[in-house]
Amino acid sequence: MASDQFHEKLYQRFRTFFDDAEENRRWNPYRDVPWDKINPDLPDHVALCAETFLGVESYLPDYIRFGLDAVRVSSLGQRWFAANWGYEELKHSLVLTEYLLRSGKRTEEQMFDFQAKLMEQVWERPFESARQMTIYGVFQEMATFVIYLRHEKVAQRYNDEALATAYRFAARDEVAHARFYEDVTKVCLEEDREGTLRDINLVVKRFEMPGVDLVPDYDARIEVMRQEGAVDRDLFYKKVFFPTLRRLGVDRSELGAAARREREERRGAEAAQ
Amino acid sequence: MDRPQLLALFQKMAGEVAEKDLAGLQEASVIADIGVDSLAMLEIIGEMERELGVQIPDDELVGIETVSQLLNLVEKRVAAG
Repeated sequence: MASDQFHEKLYQRFRTFFDDAEENRRWNPYRDVPWDKINPDLPDHVALCAETFLGVESYLPDYIRFGLDAVRVSSLGQRWFAANWGYEELKHSLVLTEYLLRSGKRTEEQMFDFQAKLMEQVWERPFESARQMTIYGVFQEMATFVIYLRHEKVAQRYNDEALATAYRFAARDEVAHARFYEDVTKVCLEEDREGTLRDINLVVKRFEMPGVDLVPDYDARIEVMRQEGAVDRDLFYKKVFFPTLRRLGVDRSELGAAARREREERRGAEAAQ
Repeated sequence: MDRPQLLALFQKMAGEVAEKDLAGLQEASVIADIGVDSLAMLEIIGEMERELGVQIPDDELVGIETVSQLLNLVEKRVAAG
């Protein structure tokens, strides 16, 4: 059972997050993107990357449904964050849809068909507890931030300032979300360090980006995104995994100890059967 | 600790962490090809660091593909004391 202090800290983290969002981070997908600076000659495979981002973002109904379900009884700060998170993530889908339509890369009919196809699959939350989902959020949002930034550079390289701006806005939201999840994880570490380390170990081991096996032709799409954005495993470690652990104040050796404990418990349980 | 001993330690830790039988492992082996993913590799390195009382900076752990590259890193740290 989490302490009152835990709930109070999380609520304060949410207040800070929300105040900063209202003050510095609000944007309008229809008005704040320089739509007159679309490059009409953008190569199709770069537009495909935008559509892939949109595909992953489009499981928002499932992310909200299952994500909110994970945190609804945990704390007020997390519940309200989840509600605000859904609003901010929605704008990523809106701005990408707007880009694909305004650029002429997709028709409205194609967009509706794509959305309908996406909704044939359901995203299910990869972890059970609120704490595990929060930790998943730390790594997933940070990875998404890094990938958006990479693709912002791609869009700039192809002189498409509209697409670059769309990615920049999305990236800025993603890193803010990652920081909130980090703050919550730090509070979890203060409250129950051993249990939180165990959960970090679990999440890291089973980590997968959302959209895997859901978005049509996912593997082929991701390959295009990786090549164009120079996104690879090493980037994940350099820009996401190690810096996140440092910010959380978690040493690799601590995580190793948690992994060791998990192995010993699992083997003990297997031997007892 | 000499190179064959380091290789043997890697085999032992990989067996422990990734539950793989790596008898006959070569230094030239590509880590991903022996069924050890990148996170398991980090865990193996962590176990080797603990055993040898050394610490490898995080940024040096990026880009390791082969057992040989990994052993070079560990060897360098052991030599540096």
